[in-house]
Amino acid sequence: MGGNNADFGKEKYAMKSKLFSVLWILTLTGALCGWATPAHAAKIRIVTTLTDLADFARAVGGDNVEVHSLATGVEDTHGVPMKPSFVPMMNRADLLILIGFDCEHAFLPALLEASKNPRIQKGTSGYVDCSKGIIPLDVPKSTDHYQGDVHPYGNPHYTLDPVLAKTAIENIYNALVDFDPQDQAEFKHNRDAYFTKLDAKITEWKMEAKQLKGVKFVSYHEHWPYFAKRFGLDYFGTIELKPGIDPTPRHIEELTRAMKAEHVSIVVREPQFPEKVPKNIAEQTGATMVTLPIMPGGVPNTETYIKMMDYIVHTMVDAEQTRK
Amino acid sequence: MKRVLCIVCLLAFCSFSPAVFADDTAERLKNLEDTVQNQSKTIEEQQNTIDTLKENFSKEKNQVSPEKGQVPQQTDQELQQKIEELNEKVNQVVETQKKEIPSVFNPAIGFVGETIFSYSSEGSAETGSDRPGGFDVFQRSVELNAAGSVDPFAKAYVVINASDDPVTGESTLDVEEAALQTTSLPGNLEVKAGRFFGEFGRLAYIHDHELPFVNRPLVLEQYIGGESRTDGLQINWLVPSEHYISLTLGAGDQFGGDNPPNYVGDTRNGTGLNYWGRLSTYFDLTPNISLEPGISGLWNPKTVAQWAPNPANPSYPTVDGDTFIERERRLAGVDLVLSWKPLRNNQFETITWGTEVLYSDNRYDVMDASGSALPSRTVSSHGVYSYLTYKFDRQWVAGIQYEWLENMLNNQAKTSAESANITWALSHWNQLRLQYTHTDNNAATGLRPYDAVYLQWAWIIGSHAHGWQQR
Repeated sequence: MGGNNADFGKEKYAMKSKLFSVLWILTLTGALCGWATPAHAAKIRIVTTLTDLADFARAVGGDNVEVHSLATGVEDTHGVPMKPSFVPMMNRADLLILIGFDCEHAFLPALLEASKNPRIQKGTSGYVDCSKGIIPLDVPKSTDHYQGDVHPYGNPHYTLDPVLAKTAIENIYNALVDFDPQDQAEFKHNRDAYFTKLDAKITEWKMEAKQLKGVKFVSYHEHWPYFAKRFGLDYFGTIELKPGIDPTPRHIEELTRAMKAEHVSIVVREPQFPEKVPKNIAEQTGATMVTLPIMPGGVPNTETYIKMMDYIVHTMVDAEQTRK
Repeated sequence: MKRVLCIVCLLAFCSFSPAVFADDTAERLKNLEDTVQNQSKTIEEQQNTIDTLKENFSKEKNQVSPEKGQVPQQTDQELQQKIEELNEKVNQVVETQKKEIPSVFNPAIGFVGETIFSYSSEGSAETGSDRPGGFDVFQRSVELNAAGSVDPFAKAYVVINASDDPVTGESTLDVEEAALQTTSLPGNLEVKAGRFFGEFGRLAYIHDHELPFVNRPLVLEQYIGGESRTDGLQINWLVPSEHYISLTLGAGDQFGGDNPPNYVGDTRNGTGLNYWGRLSTYFDLTPNISLEPGISGLWNPKTVAQWAPNPANPSYPTVDGDTFIERERRLAGVDLVLSWKPLRNNQFETITWGTEVLYSDNRYDVMDASGSALPSRTVSSHGVYSYLTYKFDRQWVAGIQYEWLENMLNNQAKTSAESANITWALSHWNQLRLQYTHTDNNAATGLRPYDAVYLQWAWIIGSHAHGWQQR
């Protein structure tokens, strides 16, 4: 058979075997070089999926916790990239804090499995689902994909209502107390201090948002039902055809027509979605387009939850005042 | 109050339901029940408030004189508002209980279908394909996926594939995967056992419909035997380090979906199995750019008559009239994925470059046409595929691919292919891909160059999971 290595002597064969052995040794050595026994940190290691939860965990945990968020704030809450660099972080975590209501279904289950950390798996005390005690809005009667990428347990964006955010904070507090009962007094003090601050801001936001009562608005994705309900706005619809499904030309046409007829005054664009379509809709309908973060860090100067809510309320009020 | 009673009854009913749902669903239900219980408490508290308010209202009504009727009217409005709010909350809780979830059954079940429409400029004799030339429509697969927890310590999944024989059209059902996977081993270990796609390289253990192009790369088709299917056991170890390093080692019979199991005769010792391993790591070069390299190796020390005569494979492969009987299988691979995935817009814009190089170094017993034994031969051959995909919209991805390989039996027989494709994903569950491929076969292959156009339509119904390998 021409061209094949017809003559393969024992020497050559042995050499190749050695090459393969070297490959295996390299493989094992590489793995062992990466070995590093995880240090037992004095602080409670917390991984949160989103940045608002990280802010809450830091506020309640204080100096007793070390908090990492998978999201930086600019991502879509449903589209945080599954980075392998998250895996070691999750592998060492004592607590995993998440929004729940299937908000993180696109990235968290696979990351959890890859983390190989039994302490934070679903069903354990380290798996802290902050939706516990929240009554969901928009619970679908059916989760057939005809409805798009719906959340079977209801809309998961409840932290955009600062009153419901307190339930999430309470869940985080309970998880911290369960994990570290000795520091309960400190956690309680931190939680109460944060609640005091948040309650004052809620009063302030409610006062300011009185101007928004009944104001109609649309957004790209269904992020805002809890916010709208809390502050009395009229959530008119979404630019997306269905959750997770981009708008069709017909949907945009129908939405635009309806917005004009109903005098919808604000178009909310979440920064992780392209500007083009919301901007065009705003121009066609005479509405004001605003870009609002959906978690802290989504736009500049919104590094904390309170700063973010400040930004959202002020921006909406400004938009409405400008229109008037 | 009736609604509260309804909820309590509903909970009581749920608690007596047959235990047909396993942990996942049970856990969800438990969470929902907790929610309902919490809300029941809230509702009860609010009902108490209402009762108190009603009582007070009643007292005030009796006390207030007609000219002061303004006050009870306001109280009435408040009461009405509270009742409405309460109704709304109860309705939401009830709605939560009524919903249907695709994965409500345990195991979660989903189907994947994939149809290929194609045109090839040459017939199957000239292309070496098992599909005819000219126009072709091919239901490549229908997959039934089921997955669920076995117990607190393991989960299991099954993939049943139905496909048609390309020649007879006869439909066959095949267990593509059926494996148990541990979920709670200490020491960052995970064990998988059963039939599964062994971890070798980057794309060998990914199902066809999840590939970034229509067809599995030629080098994976030939050197691995399609998908890296095996009946075996695999251990994965996440190295306990600040940096992501994953090590996988496995052993099993057969490796490659298109390969038959080794013919073993009466007995087989450990050298008759396939052994494989993979080491991979990951680097965040910037928040938006990542690099994921890996190396893999596969060794079957004593391929006991691989491709031995059996009903599925009645003959050994031949080259220039000589018959090749595989005696030792050695395969190594290096792979690399470089991605630009902006955090903010990663669902709308990404660029991915992936490359995998494989080196095959198999040893064969050879017989000439008369059946006389010739000296054994080791054939060293290389193959590579490289692709670039650009997602420029949530629904649209464009891609190009280059492939080159030497035949693993005859390294002078060389094939190369260039492809371009565009994918339109109407949603997560409905995807169309149009691809053009030009394939060059040199003279030693005995095949001819040809052009082909493919239209792939893939869909999913029911439960679907965003797997780790799809990152």
